[in-house]
Amino acid sequence: MDTLSNPNTAMPGEVGGDGVSAPILDHTPDSLLSYVFREDRFFLILSVFIGIFSGLAVVCFRFAIDWCRIYLLGSGAQLSPWRLILMPTLAGLVIAVLVIHVFPLARGSGVNQTKAALYIYNGYIPLRTAVGKFITSALAIGAGFSLGPEDPSLQIGACLASALGRRMHLSRDRMRLIAPVGAAAGLAAAFNAPISAVLFVIEEVIGRWTAGILGSVVLSAVSSVVVMRWFLGSESLFRIPAVELQRPSELIAYSILGIVGGLASVALASGIGVLRPMCKKLRPSTQYYQPAVAGLLIGCIAALGAPQVMGAGYVYMDEAMHGQFTWQFLVILAVLKIVATLLSFVSGTPGGMFAPTLFIGAMFGAAVGEAGHALLPHLAWSPGTYALVGMGVLFAGFLRAPMTSVFMVLEVSGNYSIIVPVIVANTFAYVIARTLQPTPIFDVLTRQDGLELPSMEEQREENILRVEDAMRPLTDPVLEMEELSGWASQHVDGSKEDILLVRLQPSGWAGVSKEELEATIKEGKTGRTLESALAKLQIPYLHPDHPLEMALRYLNRWPLLPVVSRADFSKLEGVITERDVLERYRDFGGE
Amino acid sequence: MAEEVKRFDLSLHLKREPVTLAVLTGLAVILFLAVTGLSHTYDAQRASLASEWSTRGTEDLKAQSFGLAVTDFRTALLYSRDNYSFQLSLAEALIGVNHTDEAYAYLINLWDREPENGQVNLELARIAAGNGQTERALRYYHDAIYATWPGDQEMERRNTRLELIDLLLRIDARTQAESELIALAANVSGDPSQQAHLGELFLRAQDYDRALDAFRLSLKSDRQNQAAMAGAGLAAFELGKYSVAQRYLRQAVSVAPGDTESAARLKTTELVLQMDPLRQQISAAERSRIAVAAFAVAGARLKTCGIPGGPAPPANSEQGLAQQWATLKPQISERALRRSPDLVNTTMDMVFNIERQTSGRCGAPTEADNALLLIAKLHEGN
Repeated sequence: MDTLSNPNTAMPGEVGGDGVSAPILDHTPDSLLSYVFREDRFFLILSVFIGIFSGLAVVCFRFAIDWCRIYLLGSGAQLSPWRLILMPTLAGLVIAVLVIHVFPLARGSGVNQTKAALYIYNGYIPLRTAVGKFITSALAIGAGFSLGPEDPSLQIGACLASALGRRMHLSRDRMRLIAPVGAAAGLAAAFNAPISAVLFVIEEVIGRWTAGILGSVVLSAVSSVVVMRWFLGSESLFRIPAVELQRPSELIAYSILGIVGGLASVALASGIGVLRPMCKKLRPSTQYYQPAVAGLLIGCIAALGAPQVMGAGYVYMDEAMHGQFTWQFLVILAVLKIVATLLSFVSGTPGGMFAPTLFIGAMFGAAVGEAGHALLPHLAWSPGTYALVGMGVLFAGFLRAPMTSVFMVLEVSGNYSIIVPVIVANTFAYVIARTLQPTPIFDVLTRQDGLELPSMEEQREENILRVEDAMRPLTDPVLEMEELSGWASQHVDGSKEDILLVRLQPSGWAGVSKEELEATIKEGKTGRTLESALAKLQIPYLHPDHPLEMALRYLNRWPLLPVVSRADFSKLEGVITERDVLERYRDFGGE
Repeated sequence: MAEEVKRFDLSLHLKREPVTLAVLTGLAVILFLAVTGLSHTYDAQRASLASEWSTRGTEDLKAQSFGLAVTDFRTALLYSRDNYSFQLSLAEALIGVNHTDEAYAYLINLWDREPENGQVNLELARIAAGNGQTERALRYYHDAIYATWPGDQEMERRNTRLELIDLLLRIDARTQAESELIALAANVSGDPSQQAHLGELFLRAQDYDRALDAFRLSLKSDRQNQAAMAGAGLAAFELGKYSVAQRYLRQAVSVAPGDTESAARLKTTELVLQMDPLRQQISAAERSRIAVAAFAVAGARLKTCGIPGGPAPPANSEQGLAQQWATLKPQISERALRRSPDLVNTTMDMVFNIERQTSGRCGAPTEADNALLLIAKLHEGN
């Protein structure tokens, strides 16, 4: 009977209903095929292909970035200063021309574009965007712009998924969901972390957990990671040091790291929030050389002694984790990386923000660890653990993905013993960032671009109206199904509602209108019970915790619905009508 | 009519989806093959760059340019991140520039991958020993000894055990060192330099018998090995075999006159041999003469001690000894000693007692006093 409370389930007596079980019983080949190729099942199969194609694309993207780096900057770890200055500048000019004339949709990180496909364009992302993102991002990251490959990979995956969905003539609902499925695949392959990718897409792109999409997202992420590992191996992005919480008092140091990370997140987000519109307001002709100027300045920073700020910087994150730098140099690197990332991003150069975020976090984290070691050398400090936690801190503070930030650190480190420091530090960073910069960075960017996409953070914290907020007590008596129609009709005159509720046995509810009762009496059925006199009495019921919008789906068919306890379906908690719902919504708007 | 349309749609649907699936599978296979080709090119280029940079790194490591070697191996690892030998070489270079923490991080990862690798265990042992983590160092050294090594496995194991013994001797764990030395001796070949080294380690472990044996074995194969001669001399000296010591030390000094330590030891040895009246195969007259001379040396020692005056001193104090010496002195003459061999023993007991008591309290002994002390030690318990 509980199925009655499920809006997706057909009502008893209705013809067809959900129809899920019917084809299974029919074993003819055609029926079997039509069962297999129902759209929802075919969508799952398609998710695996999306994962494979995205994985292959991300592998090629990684090749392209490496080749660009080798041919533009050289193959050595120590690079020539002139090359460091010249190559990013020239690459910036080429990127500007490509972005302005050939791939205008390739700008930015790619996360918001994927969200826009989901919420605005019914899942449509032109394939050309993927090509543009691939070429321009590979060139930018390879030439040393302070950007990462993760967000572009996410968008490339989404583009491929969208293109595939269009070819398959999927329904509009499926088309909308296909971009996030591809996004998860792209991100998982780029980051070699399927759980984090799935969580990020759910947390930041889709914004809700539904069984229908979760299966597809997981399948695509896993298949893309398998493909990526086939070609590039299964090693993590970093050599993970022995990570552990040495003593509970260390949580103070992790709290400090959270505060530092929170402030750094605000600095980076505010910088983008202020500088990006300024750059956009400059004369259109400046768009041609903004990336080149950014490249020149980044090259100068590198040539002056901090080449670590160039590119994604995973190698240097790894070195910071293993105590390669002093805490003073780590702070300098973190600050310079913020500058380099701001220059890269606000100039409109395509590329991602994940890697720079992780870099800044790792540097600040390792700096706190090293500073602790310098101040209190008699205590055992593990800078590697701090660097790892620092990555999560920036992820929570800057990208505002608190759940992903925790799981990312756990997945990358493969060690659950640091969950407490991660949660403590991330909470500090998240709260500070939210307080000082109320609008998350992705929402800042969408609003700057003139779009109004749903804010996932706002959605998470939205007050949802529930049935209990609108229901009211029933003043009329409740009829029992064994009652005689004649006796029941005596209540009609005194009732306030047009519908009288009938409690069914063993459970369930029915509604009978005054007219129906009167008709029964006119037909001379006064001696019969309500059950036999009225054929189709049963109505759905609601529970107090159901969202209020669910009530609306039924109220156009049934003017009055019972609200019953989840523990005892025969116990009436109240009733609800369309008017009650609308009045509550009106009051809510006023609040 | 509607039924017909429905049937048509269904057949179209059923035809379309498997075909789509087949096309997608075909496309995936084609793309997979294409990326495999690309991947081979990519891998080949990276392998070539990795090899180029690692060759440079190896050369720099050989030249002990550790800083350059670090950069080279880091670059090589950019292109072959998982390469075991590059990581090991980088760790060695990092140890060379004193970045032991980072080297440790590399080594511990390598150890996780191959816990039986001798080189990795040895490097980890060295780092642990450097950090004063003795227990950990000993564990890694033992793992290294029983681990697998490329090339000459026996030699690597022997060298590792030598390092371990060196560490044990440094931390004064002589018993453990001796056990390791005995195990090492069983594996050391007849190579004279190895035997000499073994002898030196036995000397450091104060196992003079085995040290002497090792030096003798070394000298069997290389009669001109001066270090072995000096070592054998020292071992024999410490064992109180002064005639043997004299022979080896004479040879050592004749081969290397600049070896002042051996020369000084030879002088002491010769003095011991000259001043010992209790040695066998000497005449009674000679014994008496030597005993009288020893008695005089002991008296002189007491005098240089500066005996304070005052009430009756305890028997073992310098003053008490001086009184005993003065009491005995009238009886001591060569003739009296010749007549009474027991008096020789009494005299020498007095001499030994004086030398022992004054050695810790009356400043540095003369060479003669020192020789008498050694003689006392030699005849202790007789």
